Amino acid sequence: MLSYHQKRFLIVDDFSDFRSSVRSMLRELGVKDVDTADSGEQALRMCSQKAYDFILQDFHLGDGKKNGQQVLEDLMVEKLISHESVFVMVTAETSQAMVLSALEHEPDAYLTKPFNRSGLAQRLERLEQRKNLLKPILQALDRGKPMEVLNACIELCKKDIRYSPLCLRYRADALRDLNQNEALERLYDGIIADRPLPWAFAGLGKLLFKRGQVNQAKGVYEKALKLFPMMPALYDGMADVLVAEGDNKGAQKVLEEAIRLSPLAVRRQAQLGKLAMANEDFETASKAYRQAVSQGAQSRFKDAESNLGLAHALISKGSEKGLDTRTRLEINTTLSQVAKENPSDPGLQIRARLMKATSLLLNDAETAEKLTEQAMMRLDGMEQFMSAEAALLVAKQLQMLGQASAGASMLKNCAEIYGDDPVVMQGIAKLTDDPTILNSGNVASDLNRQGVQIYKTGNLVEARAVFRKALALQPKNISIALNMAQSLLHGTDTSVPSPELEECRACLKQVGMMPDTDARYPRYQKLKIKAFSG
Amino acid sequence: MSQEYPALDFSTVIASTVHDMKNSLAMLMQAHSQWMGRLPNSERQSPEQGVIEFEFAHLNGMLVQLLGLYKLGVNQMPLQPAYHELDDFIEAQLAAHQEVFASRGIVATYEVDPLCPLGFFDRELVASVLANTINNAIRYARQSLLISVSDEAGQLMLTINDDGDGYPVEMIERQADYVQGINHSSGSTGLGLYFAGRIAALHQRNGVQGCTRISNGGPLGGGVFSLYLP
Repeated sequence: MLSYHQKRFLIVDDFSDFRSSVRSMLRELGVKDVDTADSGEQALRMCSQKAYDFILQDFHLGDGKKNGQQVLEDLMVEKLISHESVFVMVTAETSQAMVLSALEHEPDAYLTKPFNRSGLAQRLERLEQRKNLLKPILQALDRGKPMEVLNACIELCKKDIRYSPLCLRYRADALRDLNQNEALERLYDGIIADRPLPWAFAGLGKLLFKRGQVNQAKGVYEKALKLFPMMPALYDGMADVLVAEGDNKGAQKVLEEAIRLSPLAVRRQAQLGKLAMANEDFETASKAYRQAVSQGAQSRFKDAESNLGLAHALISKGSEKGLDTRTRLEINTTLSQVAKENPSDPGLQIRARLMKATSLLLNDAETAEKLTEQAMMRLDGMEQFMSAEAALLVAKQLQMLGQASAGASMLKNCAEIYGDDPVVMQGIAKLTDDPTILNSGNVASDLNRQGVQIYKTGNLVEARAVFRKALALQPKNISIALNMAQSLLHGTDTSVPSPELEECRACLKQVGMMPDTDARYPRYQKLKIKAFSG
Repeated sequence: MSQEYPALDFSTVIASTVHDMKNSLAMLMQAHSQWMGRLPNSERQSPEQGVIEFEFAHLNGMLVQLLGLYKLGVNQMPLQPAYHELDDFIEAQLAAHQEVFASRGIVATYEVDPLCPLGFFDRELVASVLANTINNAIRYARQSLLISVSDEAGQLMLTINDDGDGYPVEMIERQADYVQGINHSSGSTGLGLYFAGRIAALHQRNGVQGCTRISNGGPLGGGVFSLYLP
């Protein structure tokens, strides 16, 4: 009768008493295959070796350790568990764990301590039943086929319409993955009109924001936050809206609110650090980046940008007399980590050195000079593009370190790559008055705009000629190169060699040096797949 | 010389102490059940065992409720509503009291109207209300307890029936006072009603608030506690 006897179980808890107690409950229930782990790290290793059907995961695994939510996220993202597996979050207090949970990765169930054998048996039995009911949907999810997910949902609802609420989330996620925006918006609207579900609000806000309907997105988040003031994901969305509106101060406040609710969030802390830097609130920035670095150590969201941000915030906070020993030590530690962990990333090597040199400028000029020299040598041979933000900071630091000409050439390079973006040009204007840099991209940008107009009329030959002229002036400009590539691919058969294809591949190769964090990176990848598929 | 200490917020002190007590109780219950597992069958069925199980559940319910009241007070009661399968939900609440039912010889059953298999509510909060109500019903029930779920004019109605003597008439007549927190004099039951009423009211739909009702009679002839969720 009981269907979970033959299944493979994993118990994850840092208390050995608890592990043995749950293990003996499972044994009494007739389960034979029970493994245990005392940390999230061990659980992840075990899940990569063996496919578990049930995971009973304790939420709090001790300070400085991965918590249950992080383990779940890692398992999902690394695809270490099937959607058919049952993941149960075991907590002393469930509401707290739910606040800390990310809306995109929710456990199948929460189980509150203490529980008895009958309570455990009942949950397992039911979860097994539900997974069976949803099996076709879950299998389609494992295959990564959103269209099949939708069909499976339709089939299930046909069988029993009363279960349609269980399918809502699967349908919404599938529509999102299929980019069926209109249908998705209708679905979200329908759900919210019937029942206020927090994930539906978050999804609708995100969708509207993605489509540039910033104002409507703001309305959705405002309404949602009134209903669910304890849901950190909604604050994240609201902060994005405020940043888009140019209200960095407001965005910072909103993120601080979210962090009060849920401080364990690497990406949110890093985002707060970035905003606080923009607002010149160096105290908040250094605190947030410090959290992002220390929490990131156990997380897959570990990011060298947070280390650099922490160092930058600490330097900016410092007085004119230089930095105290403790601060210098912290800067040294956090930057050494960047240099040590990213040996093959020239951009990070350069930035870590210049950052450290800047921190030593007042206290140890000799070492600062040495580090600057090292950075400049690497800068010479570097082919990769830095992000505009990083490039501007590097240019500024080179200026501060007495390397005016290297700073100028950095700015010139930046103007070439990103010159069509007025925000970047404003940033450059803050660092130089040199008209040859400030106006270097004007002609090419004009030509690029003309090319887009002509491309829209369908005159491919003319459009290509104009883009080509623009690109000759600014060969590293990402926008122009992508436009050039797109116009060349338009109407070109990629399965046979042609001069158009050749040219297209060449300019994609050039801008392939762009950072993968650039907003245009997905577009570049799409074009690349097309151009190199033949 | 008197030294100035910063004044401690008493409710926060209580809340964090209760939190520790709850963890401590969880360990105690776990150790106890492991120990029971090693005893011979005859030793397991002692009447003291029934008392221990019941009071464990009672203590745990009170601590959960205390924490809940604290959070209501500081406006930290997050509502996390979602769709839940009702038979699963009710079964889970009954399973948590399985040992007590067994030791007291109470037969606990439930019926879910097949037309409403899913409910929309905060599982954790509603579970805490049910746990307290079941605990209360166990105290007064003779031999049976029934939880029924049905649709009442578009609202979900969860009803806990027992076959005991029922609520005191005075309490039924003045139940609004308890729910509003005006009359706490009747101890834990009154506080329980207040807590349940607040949690019910957190559930709203199109301007309609959830509520609770107590009465006597019902299919088992004893106390009847109903929770309405819009």
